[in-house]
Amino acid sequence: MRNFIKWITSAKVNKVLCIITFMFVPLALLTVFTYIPFGKMIGFSFYDMKYIGDREFVGLKNYAEVFSRDDCFKALKLSLYYIAASFVQLGLALYFATLLSFKTKGGGIFKGLMFFPYLVCGIAVGFIFKFFYTRGFVLDTVLQWCGFNLDNLPYWLKDTSINNISVAATSVWRYMGQNMVLFIGAIMSVDAEMYEAAAIDGAGGWQKFRYIIFPSISTIIVLNLILAITGSLSVFEPPYVITGGNFGTGTYFVIMDKLAHASQKVGLASAMAIVLLVIILIATLLQKLFFRYFIGEGEHEAIRAVRKRKKREALAAAGNGGVQS
Amino acid sequence: MNKAKMKKLLWAIVKYATLVFGSFVSVLPVVVCVITAFKSPEEYAETNVMTLPKSWTYFENFVQAWKQANMALAFRNSIIILICVLFFSILTGSMLAYVLNRFKFPGNGLIRNLFLFASLLPGIAMQVSVYQIMYSLGWINSLFGYIVLMCGTDVISIYIFIQFFENISVSLDEAAIMDGCTYFGVFFRILLPLLKPAIITVMILKGVGVYNEYYMANLYLQNKNSFVTVATSLFKFTGPLGNQYNYICAGVILTMLPALIVFILCQKQIYGGLAQGAVKG
Amino acid sequence: MRKNAKRLLALALTGAMTLSFAGCGSKDEGEGKKKDDGEFSLTLDQIKLGEDYTDVKADLKFLTHKTDVIDTKFKEYITEFQKLYPNINIEYEGITDYANDITTRLSTGDWGDICMIPTTVDKDDLGTYFVKLGDQEKLGETYVKDWLNNFTYQGSTYGVPSMVNAQGIVYNKRVFEESGVKEVPKTPDDFLAALKKIKDNKKVTAPLYTNFAADWTMNAWDAYISASTGDPDFMNSGLTKGKEPFTDRKDGTGPFAVYNLLYEAVKQGLTEEDPTTTDWEGSKPMINKGEIGCMVLGSWAFVQMRDAGDNGDDIAYMPFPISVNGKQYASVGPDYNYGINVNSSKDQKIAAMCYVKWLVEESGFAGGEGGLSVVQGDALPDALSSFGDVELLVDNPAPEGEENLFNDINNDSELGINVSGAIPKATLEAATQGSQNMEELSKEWNEKWTTAQKNNGVE
Repeated sequence: MRNFIKWITSAKVNKVLCIITFMFVPLALLTVFTYIPFGKMIGFSFYDMKYIGDREFVGLKNYAEVFSRDDCFKALKLSLYYIAASFVQLGLALYFATLLSFKTKGGGIFKGLMFFPYLVCGIAVGFIFKFFYTRGFVLDTVLQWCGFNLDNLPYWLKDTSINNISVAATSVWRYMGQNMVLFIGAIMSVDAEMYEAAAIDGAGGWQKFRYIIFPSISTIIVLNLILAITGSLSVFEPPYVITGGNFGTGTYFVIMDKLAHASQKVGLASAMAIVLLVIILIATLLQKLFFRYFIGEGEHEAIRAVRKRKKREALAAAGNGGVQS
Repeated sequence: MNKAKMKKLLWAIVKYATLVFGSFVSVLPVVVCVITAFKSPEEYAETNVMTLPKSWTYFENFVQAWKQANMALAFRNSIIILICVLFFSILTGSMLAYVLNRFKFPGNGLIRNLFLFASLLPGIAMQVSVYQIMYSLGWINSLFGYIVLMCGTDVISIYIFIQFFENISVSLDEAAIMDGCTYFGVFFRILLPLLKPAIITVMILKGVGVYNEYYMANLYLQNKNSFVTVATSLFKFTGPLGNQYNYICAGVILTMLPALIVFILCQKQIYGGLAQGAVKG
Repeated sequence: MRKNAKRLLALALTGAMTLSFAGCGSKDEGEGKKKDDGEFSLTLDQIKLGEDYTDVKADLKFLTHKTDVIDTKFKEYITEFQKLYPNINIEYEGITDYANDITTRLSTGDWGDICMIPTTVDKDDLGTYFVKLGDQEKLGETYVKDWLNNFTYQGSTYGVPSMVNAQGIVYNKRVFEESGVKEVPKTPDDFLAALKKIKDNKKVTAPLYTNFAADWTMNAWDAYISASTGDPDFMNSGLTKGKEPFTDRKDGTGPFAVYNLLYEAVKQGLTEEDPTTTDWEGSKPMINKGEIGCMVLGSWAFVQMRDAGDNGDDIAYMPFPISVNGKQYASVGPDYNYGINVNSSKDQKIAAMCYVKWLVEESGFAGGEGGLSVVQGDALPDALSSFGDVELLVDNPAPEGEENLFNDINNDSELGINVSGAIPKATLEAATQGSQNMEELSKEWNEKWTTAQKNNGVE
């Protein structure tokens, strides 16, 4: 018995025990709720099947259909709206974050007001914006105050030239403040002395932003860009809760949802999901390479910068370089 | 000199104008909701949506929304879910992060990548097969089942914890081990208390997510007489027997209130927590 | 409450998913439990209300879609019923998105004792979930036999309709008259002409209100297909086996004429300006006040529109303006059916039988909701009083062995007739944007339908 206790408390065994017990629950959950369903979904994609009844193995037919249907990839084009929206969102967030990191009267209130939409539930967003965009309601009224004539205003959710922008704007509304707070946090973590030094050098606001703030938070900006672009490919909620995907606002996932539930084409919908997943993976990889090359990521320097420097170093033939921080 | 002053003044004007504008746009949709929630049905029908209500003490819509959407129960359920999910996911998430960060063992990298890859998988698309699993476990219409599911679908918090552990010196662990502490002891006695900032971050991120989650709640907690949550209580206002905008707006405001109160009370922690996540992320 | 809700049904993520289990796991379970009290053989027709089983004690749970009347009408029903059966307690659980959620609930087994049977349950599965209420032949002596078709399998009936809907158009009579429309239009052209006249009436914001944003409302349009042909076999043979059924028949009949009516109304600006932000609840007082001319919805809507304001007398119901050889038809079909849980205890089953029988025969629910009662000889509801010589049309059931053919083709084609409302929605969008004309649309539907027919073995 004593031996057993000794054995169990011995560092090595204890370590193994610790690894196993600590990892068991999360890994079990990950397997049960992510990877088993994922495997099943891959399986579904090779079948012609409904939720009920017989299934029939059809090989790659579902995949062929995803590529030959005109609505699937047309829907992916809508992602451009959401990518554009996420650029606007990040730009605004960066702008406001910079403003608010310096002394501003009422800064806390502005920050709070702009952050608040992040806390609103998705269903509520649907209700709120249907109301907001209704003809003659909120948006139209405000624009009329500004001197617009109602007759010249579009139908925000009906006109196909603008409705995707309307819907994408709601996602800017919702997440801009959260991005802003993230950026403020990142800016705040920059050493205050740097600003002081810059001020002594007579740097203006823009210079401070360009040379101190931006470089020091570029990592998090890049990270958010990557998330924004992959997120834009798989947009579901805004059109789902606001327009139901009608009038050309159906994104890839909304179309998939319709196929799966209104037409019971589970196999096809699963194939669509897998195709999108592959696209997202490729997009993520490309972006990573891209950013690694031009800007650098995390603690790695940009590859381009490294090359330049190496070239310089080689030219100077100096032996003291090469420190990769 | 004068020119510089002008420039400064101009900049100040631009700065505050944009800030006011940004804040206005952010709150406008919600403010209109508040306005509508205080209007009687007749008033709503007759006045422009932006016209202020006659009386700010007309609470009938709130009373109706509260009753119709069974919000008392919804809040109770949501609080239970929130507490349990936060507690367990923080515990398991930080334990996993500890193991992944502190121990080198075969499969460590693989497990990290498995979690990373999981975050790319389309959650909505997989609910078909997740439902089959929940069903065979008998976890449909069970708060417990839903809580377990919500604990399991989290990747970001694990990453936040891992990042945080990286900044805690390993010498701390080593010293404790020398003193005869087990690895369990190191985690629970030494490291967990140090994790407080990361825990707050995760609580905020995860808390907002769980409180507002409606898709799976609707799917797995179907018996709304017993298992309605705050987010799904809003479904009461959709569908063929939908409702007037007065009630809907009142309902929306009611669901937002707790979030608002918590936000106002813990503003500092929330910003700090998010920023923490950002810097580390 | 309405057929239209079927659309939500199929849309239902939840519902649909559940059924995958309805097909497998739960079946065994159901059969296993059924054996325990397999001797249960009571049928509706054997019960004499108020005389038999008055001493039965049971607590019943009732899942309903009628969330609006749980605290009012249903409470009165319980009080009334308990005068006859004092020991039976009934608790209602209302489900807002009933169509969406009920199929899933069925599979969980946790659904109480009585529910409204969803249309997604396959006929051969009925016995897995529901108690047999009687033989169709026998029940057909007191109830209208055809209306029991939906949930009858091999002669056994598992569901009785709570009410039966007729499909027409709910309209504001005063608006029509004040705009100079003296006679109820009987053809699409007359109807469009009438809408134009109404549009000139300045008080009216929309002669025809589609309620597009509510989504399920669009699905109502599909319900007029059989009436547009005057053929009771159209849905289950003409459509499933016919060649290119969406082609313009050039005589103002058939599916094309139904959707063309919608197309033209939208194109000529006779519907609401912004279909994407329509407000279902708000539309009821609007038609009552005369700001809306008409809406294309089942007869159940008549009561709701009538009761939505002070001008109830102005609301009337007319048949769909399509005449086949000079004759107008209105399709009639059962709304939700009552079903009793096969896994409830024996006393609960008896009590549930009594309550269902009472609801169908004594409660007056169907009439109050603007529908027809399934009981033979009951009076027509107010909504249909002005229907005149319109012939009520009941779809014949599909031939044996082809019960699933319509559903299969319908799903495969993605046209979602009576399910998703994909056709009327596409029609409205195309007409709004001017992107496609009806010929192009119908060609597209024909192609999809034909491909689906081929895939399902129809040549």
